[in-house]
Amino acid sequence: MSLLEMRGINKSFSGVQVLKDVSLTVEKGEVHALLGENGAGKSTLMNILTGVYTRDSGTVVFDGQELKDTTVRDSEKAGIAFVHQELNLFNDLTVYENIFLGKEYTNKLGKTDKRRMIKEAEELFTQLGVNVDPRARVSDLTTSQKQLLEISKALFFEAKLLILDEPTTALNNAEIEHLFGIIRGLKEKGTAFIFISHKMPEIFALSDSYTVFRNGEYIGSGKLSETDTDSIISMMVGRTYSSSEIYTPRETGDVVLKLDHFTGPGFHDINMEVRKGAVIGMTGLQGSGASELLQCMFGLTPSWSGTMTVNGEPVKHGAIRGAMRAGMGLLPSNRKETSVVPDMTIGENLSLAEQTLSSGKFHINKKQEEQRYLEYKELLNIKAVSSKNPITSLSGGNQQKVFIARWLNTGAQILLFDNPTQGIDVGAKTEIYRLMEQLAGEGKTILFTSMEVPEIRKVADLCHVFYNGSIIGTLENDQIDETTVMRYSTNSINAQQTSDRGGES
Amino acid sequence: MKNKSGLTRFLGEYSYIFVFVIILIVYMITNNGITWPAAMNILRHSAAVGIIAVGMGMICLTGDIDLSVGSMLAIVSGFSVVIFNITNSVLLTLLFSLAFGAVLGLLNGMLVGRLEIPAFIATLATMLIFRSLAQYFCQHIGKELIGGGSSVYKMVNANSQYKPFYNFGNGKLFTVPNVGLILIVVTVLFVYISTSTKFGKKVYAVGSNPKAALMTGISVPHIKVVVFTITGLLVGLGSFVWIGMNASSDPATTGNSYEMYAISAVVLGGISMSGGKGRILGVLFGAMSYTVIDKIIVALKMDSLINNAIKGVILLVVIAIQIVTPKIRAKLRKA
Repeated sequence: MSLLEMRGINKSFSGVQVLKDVSLTVEKGEVHALLGENGAGKSTLMNILTGVYTRDSGTVVFDGQELKDTTVRDSEKAGIAFVHQELNLFNDLTVYENIFLGKEYTNKLGKTDKRRMIKEAEELFTQLGVNVDPRARVSDLTTSQKQLLEISKALFFEAKLLILDEPTTALNNAEIEHLFGIIRGLKEKGTAFIFISHKMPEIFALSDSYTVFRNGEYIGSGKLSETDTDSIISMMVGRTYSSSEIYTPRETGDVVLKLDHFTGPGFHDINMEVRKGAVIGMTGLQGSGASELLQCMFGLTPSWSGTMTVNGEPVKHGAIRGAMRAGMGLLPSNRKETSVVPDMTIGENLSLAEQTLSSGKFHINKKQEEQRYLEYKELLNIKAVSSKNPITSLSGGNQQKVFIARWLNTGAQILLFDNPTQGIDVGAKTEIYRLMEQLAGEGKTILFTSMEVPEIRKVADLCHVFYNGSIIGTLENDQIDETTVMRYSTNSINAQQTSDRGGES
Repeated sequence: MKNKSGLTRFLGEYSYIFVFVIILIVYMITNNGITWPAAMNILRHSAAVGIIAVGMGMICLTGDIDLSVGSMLAIVSGFSVVIFNITNSVLLTLLFSLAFGAVLGLLNGMLVGRLEIPAFIATLATMLIFRSLAQYFCQHIGKELIGGGSSVYKMVNANSQYKPFYNFGNGKLFTVPNVGLILIVVTVLFVYISTSTKFGKKVYAVGSNPKAALMTGISVPHIKVVVFTITGLLVGLGSFVWIGMNASSDPATTGNSYEMYAISAVVLGGISMSGGKGRILGVLFGAMSYTVIDKIIVALKMDSLINNAIKGVILLVVIAIQIVTPKIRAKLRKA
């Protein structure tokens, strides 16, 4: 018998049916990938399972028991744990306080038994191979440690099924491997996982079976060993999809951007010459310097030495407006925190950077702004009803296009995209990359960072691999593949060379 | 269904007009209607606090707060009286009020914007400082400078410009009080600045998401300094209006609790204290609502000590409505 059987689930919000007769079956001791584009109904179904929403109809059987009118507490008690993408931890409390919150061990007088809680937390961490001090403050942990803490918390109270909602978004490759190792170990012991992710390689690396939703409907399910990436994506987007769209070399112009021994926080001695119309990919483990370089180029952090010249003119260090005047624009990573101005409309969000640049003129020409909005809406294929709607009414992919338009609107010629496809779904990702090709074709120069090598290969002329703050390898498009990039970004190529030389140094 | 949600949206967005109308109806019941002079009197009594509240509105839009405005009114109006007594010039007094207010606002702005001291703390400190200095100097400077008394700054009525100044403060232009006109002009100006200028958009952006604002090249500290300075300037204008109306300033009582009235007017006006949301126009209605409450209490011949209790209750009710209506709207949408 299956661990979880959800059958014929229906749910509507104010007359709109968001789940139509969907089913999901999860076996004991498996990792089940739940797949679909944003808005396909994955989150709604998970919220029904964990008791956040009530279903309109359908049955849920978990561990042999039918769950009816589930509340959040019921589902927890039954052994279902939801590890959210936005981690639900209290940053100012310690690790063990977070684990035991509301379930503290106490003595007869009601005083908490710290020693016992710390000891048991330690035991669990050792068992899982998690290297965290239970007494540490959560705010001092890395994102990956927080993620592991969330999972440990669930396991401590004997969860039988863990829902992992995009657990790897903020992790680097080494951390992802560690997390996956722990998940595999738990799987052996019979714990089941529902795994939600947009990253195909890791879905295939970790999961046993899958279920695909599209527009609130069940599309299909099966074993991952019996399918491949393209057919899964085709199921998700509802049309034939091929990831092997071939990169076509592009014509580039004169050198527009030059970095000369450029050094700043998190990177050092970067030398680079970028031609007009080129698309340059940059990758590496998190903290290896690629994102830090983009931020410094845009003036967000000061540079320490070296120079950056645009069209032969040196750009002032550490001044965002200086970089903007030189014709640069940065699409920062973490869209929600660093790009979205949530109380403003789509149009206001689009115009903001241009207004900063032209703040000498006090009055806003609203007609002209509307005109520009319509132009960019057309050019970037932004799916929006009106410029006066709130920016938060758009999907992640469309928001990202508005923020690209924000820079095009300033007349920026050099576009710095820091992780531009983070947290947006497969269809929108493809669109963003198409857009990058289109912009390069119009003579814009693009530098972007990404953790996803196949995506870099799709668009980039060159890929710089960062290790420990410097460029350790530069690959032409036809040399870009995951193994090579991984070798460089973990510095195993140099390690190999050193050992080949056999103690020459 | 559609009408219903339209109505709740209207109430949510323009709740300040709704509140003002209800309070006005209560006023009309207690006073057997309203006359034009009575309405103009409301406008007149809203002038000083209203001008200050417009500045407070701008500060709240950036997500900050200024607790020092009441004390600032005391010190700027007090010193302005001294300047008037020395110079016997209305124009110089006005210029001094504006400049001195702007300097004090700049001080607040530097503390909050550049030193990054939380606005609540920084302006709490300057609130204490301004009031104390206003009282101290009143006792320790020459009696002739403060118009002869000992604890109140009084304009010297022997000055030739005394009458013109006082007449200006209490005069009318086509039955509209001069100071009321100043409030209206200030409101119109700041409605324009907040909705139709690049500076206004930056103020909203800083309040809504400072990180994202920074990423579009906006200097967040600079915007904060400017907004606090503008508020200082408006307090200076308010001080000028105040002494024009009263011909004196008592450092112990002038502007007492005005920071609270200004914040209440801002909140009644529908501006979110967390920044980025609301309209400056609401502040005008918020400020007038409070003046009307004063008038109602007078009409009912109640003890004025009950005044703040009623204002507090109304503030709570309005905020409760503002918080509850979106929830009701969400429920209606679900059903």
